[in-house]
Amino acid sequence: MIFTTLEHILTHISFSIISIVITIHLMILLVREIVGLRDSLEKGMIATFFSITGLLVSRWISSGHFPLSNLYESLIFLSCSFSIIHMISKMGNHKNDLSTITAPSTIFTQGFATSGFLTEMHQSAILVPALQSQWLMMHVSMMLLSYAALLCGSLLSVALLVITFRKNIDIFCKGNNFLIKPFFFGEIQYLNEKRSVFKNTSFLSFRNYYKYQLTQRLDYWSYRVISLGFTFLTIGILCGAVWANEAWGSYWNWDPKETWAFITWTIFAIYLHTRTRIHIRSRTNQSLQSMNSALVASIGFLIIWVCYFGINLLGIGLHSYGSFTLTST
Amino acid sequence: MSSLLLNPNRAFSPLSRQVLKASFSSLCSISNARILLGSRPTAHRVVGFKPRASRDSFDAEALPESNTKKKSRNNNKKIILFGSTPPPLSEERGGSAGNSSGKPAAEGSSWVFLQRAFKRVLAVLSNLPLAIGEMFTIAALMALGTVIDQGEAPDYYFQKYPEENPVFGFVTWRWVLALGFDHMFTSPVFLGMLILLAASLMACTYTTQIPLVKVARRWSFIHSAETIRKQDFADSLPQASIQDLGIILMGAGYEIFLKGPSLYAFKGMAGRFAPIGVHLAMLLIMAGGTLSAAGSFRGSVTVPQGLNFVVGDVMNPNGVLSFPSQEFDTEVHVNRFYMDYYDSGEVSQFYTDISLYSLDGKELMRKTIRVNDPLRYGGITIYQTDWGFSALQITKNGEGPFNLAMAPLQLNGDKKLFGTFLPTGDADSPNVKGISMLARDLQSIVLYDQEGKFAGVRRPSSKLPIDIDGTRIVIEDAIGSSGLDLKTDPGVPLVYAGFGALMLTTCISYFSHSQIWALQDGTTVIIGGKTNRAMLEFRDEVNRLLDEVPELVTIDKNFNG
Repeated sequence: MIFTTLEHILTHISFSIISIVITIHLMILLVREIVGLRDSLEKGMIATFFSITGLLVSRWISSGHFPLSNLYESLIFLSCSFSIIHMISKMGNHKNDLSTITAPSTIFTQGFATSGFLTEMHQSAILVPALQSQWLMMHVSMMLLSYAALLCGSLLSVALLVITFRKNIDIFCKGNNFLIKPFFFGEIQYLNEKRSVFKNTSFLSFRNYYKYQLTQRLDYWSYRVISLGFTFLTIGILCGAVWANEAWGSYWNWDPKETWAFITWTIFAIYLHTRTRIHIRSRTNQSLQSMNSALVASIGFLIIWVCYFGINLLGIGLHSYGSFTLTST
Repeated sequence: MSSLLLNPNRAFSPLSRQVLKASFSSLCSISNARILLGSRPTAHRVVGFKPRASRDSFDAEALPESNTKKKSRNNNKKIILFGSTPPPLSEERGGSAGNSSGKPAAEGSSWVFLQRAFKRVLAVLSNLPLAIGEMFTIAALMALGTVIDQGEAPDYYFQKYPEENPVFGFVTWRWVLALGFDHMFTSPVFLGMLILLAASLMACTYTTQIPLVKVARRWSFIHSAETIRKQDFADSLPQASIQDLGIILMGAGYEIFLKGPSLYAFKGMAGRFAPIGVHLAMLLIMAGGTLSAAGSFRGSVTVPQGLNFVVGDVMNPNGVLSFPSQEFDTEVHVNRFYMDYYDSGEVSQFYTDISLYSLDGKELMRKTIRVNDPLRYGGITIYQTDWGFSALQITKNGEGPFNLAMAPLQLNGDKKLFGTFLPTGDADSPNVKGISMLARDLQSIVLYDQEGKFAGVRRPSSKLPIDIDGTRIVIEDAIGSSGLDLKTDPGVPLVYAGFGALMLTTCISYFSHSQIWALQDGTTVIIGGKTNRAMLEFRDEVNRLLDEVPELVTIDKNFNG
C-alpha cells in the first residue's frame, strides 16, 4: 500500500518538474534569456531523473522483480533513459543540442505512460515463466537505453533536415527564427547584439554562418549519439539472442519483434556506413553526405517506433507479453 | 620479437610513463630511448624496402615548396597521406606485379584472366553503395516477412492475395509463392541476399579495411610545418617547448614519439582495428548460423508424467549435415511434472523432473528443468516449452482409482481446455449419460452432472468427495504431461563466439583513433591533429591540453628542442 502511494507521489512529482522545465525552456525561447533560469533547468532535469528512478526502484521493491515487464514500465524506463542521456551529455560539458531533444522526449514518454491509455497496465504485472530470468534486466534495459539514444540521435538528424530544407524554402521568413532559436540557447544573446550592429549589411551572412555551424554540430552529435545507441542495440539484441537460446530453444526465431530489432540495427548500420567517407573536404559534398545520412537516420526514427510500439500493439509473436502465460514455439 | 618491432610503443609505454611521472629531468634520456625504440623498426623497414624513395620524400617534406620533379611530388603526397615509412601497399603492389609478370610465362594467360576477374569482382563487391543497397534490401525483405503471414498453407495465400484484387495493384499469390515469400527467412531470395552481403563483407575487409590498418599502424613524423597546418585540427603555440607538450599529451594517455624537433602522438589505435573485428564477427555469426541450419536436429514431444522416450526417436534432422550422435540412444524419463502458481491463480513456473538413462538402464543425469533453465547433456538440450493434461485419477463410489484420459478441447495458445467424461449406468446403451469434467489447468476441475448442469469444483489436492446423481467421486490426482523441445545445434559455439566478438568490437568501435603531430619551429610549436570519429571532443580535448602547456617566459636564444 505504501508503495502504491509512493509511486503515485513520485509520478506526479516527476511529471510536474518536467512540465516546469519545459515551460522554462519555452519562456527562454520566446521571451528572453535569464541566467538564473538556466541553472534551474539543469537542477530540474536532475530532480526528474531521481524521481523517475525512485519510481522504478519502488516498483522493483514492491513487485519483487525488475520493473520492465510491460509497456507502462518500459515507457517509464525510456523516459528515465532520456534523462540519463541528458545528464551524460551535460557532464561532458560540450556544447551540444541534446537537451532540446531530451527534455521534450522525457515529457512525451512520461505523459503518454501516465495518461489514460495505459491505466490498466499501471498495476505491476506478474512475471510469466519465460520472463523469469536474469537476462530480463540486461536485455530489456539495454534495448530501452539504445532506443532512447537512437531516438535522440535520429531526432537531431531530423532537426538537421528540417533546418536545411527550411533554408531553401523561405530564408527570409521570420518564422525561421523561431525554428533556429531553440538550438541557440548559448548564442542567441550574442546573435541579438550582433544583429543590432550588422542590421542590414552582414546579417544574412552571419545567419548563414551560424546555420552552417549549427548543422555541422547537429550532424556530428547525431552521429556520436547514434553510434552510442548502436553499441547498446548490438549488446541488447545479442543478449536477447542468448536468452532466447535458454528459453525458447533457439537463438534466433524470426519473431516479428526480433526481426524489427534487426531491421533497426541494419538501418543504423547503414547510417554508420554512410558516414565513413565523410572526410571529403568540399563543403557541398559534405553537406550532401550529411543530408543523406540524416535521411537514413530519420527512416531509422520511424522504424524504432514500429519496432518498439507497433509490434507490441499488434500483439503478435513471442514478445507479446501481457496476455499469455506460456511461450509456444 | 617481431610483434615488438611492429608495436614497440605498446611494450614499453607503461614503464616509460612511470619514469616520466617520477622525474621531469629524466625526460631527455627517455626521449632518447624512445627514439631508439621507435626508430629501429623504421630503419629496419627503410633498409629492407625502399631506402632511396623514402629519403627523397623526407627531403621533399622538409622543403615542400621546392620545385622537385613531378614524380617525386606524387610520391611525396602519397607518403604524407599514408605515413612516412614506405607503405606495404607498394610492397604488395610490387609483389603482385611480380607475380603477374612471372606467372604468364609459366601458366599462360588464363590464370591472369582469372586473377583479373577475381580482382574485378572484389572491387565490385567492396563497393560501399552496393553494400548499403544490400543492407536496405535485406531490411525491406525482413519487413515484408513480418507483413506477410509466414508458413501458411497455399490456400491461405490464394484467399489473402487473390488475382482479381491484387494488393497495391500487383501483388498476387503468384508473386508471393513464386518468390518464396510465404517462408521468407528460408527463401532463396533472402538467403541469396545474405550470401551476397557476406561476400561484400569479406571483400570490403580484404580490399579496404586491412590496407587502412596497415597504413594506420605505421607511426610517422611530419617534418613540414605546412603539412601539419593542413590537418583537420591545427594550432600553434608561441613560446613553448615540444617536450612540455609531449609530457602533457602522455599524461592524457597518448603514446608519444619524439625525434629532434618533431613529435608524433596517437591514442585509441584499437578504434581503427575494431571495424574489421565487427565484420569478422558478423561473418563468424553467419558461418555459425549456416552450421546451425545445416547440422542441427530438432524434436518436440509431449510426455505424460511417469513415461519415457528415447531421444533418437523424436529428433528430426534439419539439414544435410545432421548426423546423429551416440547420445541419441539415451532414454529420457519424466519423473514428475508440476506447476507453480501465483496467489491469483496464474501459472508462475513449469517444472519437469527428468532423468536420463543409458540403454542398459544406468542413470546418467537427473535435473528439474523449467522455462529458462534447460537440461544439457552431450550436445542435446532439452527445453520445457509446453504442457498438457494427460489424465485424471478418480475413485468412483470407493472403487478405483481409475485413470480417465483427458481430451484437449481447445488449445489456443495458453487458453487451454481439457475435458473428460465418466459414464454412469449402462455404458452399452445408445445414449450414454454421465458426468463431464472440464479443466483449464491442473489446479481445479469443474464437474457437470448428467443434464449438463454445473455440479461443483474440486481441487485434486483436497481429496474432498463430491456427490453427483448418487455417484460419489473423489478426484485423487491430476496427471499432467510435459511438452519438451529437444535440439542439438553444432553452430551455437561458433555463434556465441561471434556474439562475444561483435559486442566487444562494437564497443571498441565507439572510440576514435586520434593522431597529433607537432614541430618545434624556433620557440613556436606547431601542432596538427586528426581523429577518425570524435572530432569535436578531440578538438576540445586538445585545446584543453594546449592550455596546460607552460609558456616559456624568458626567451632562450640557445634553445634547440
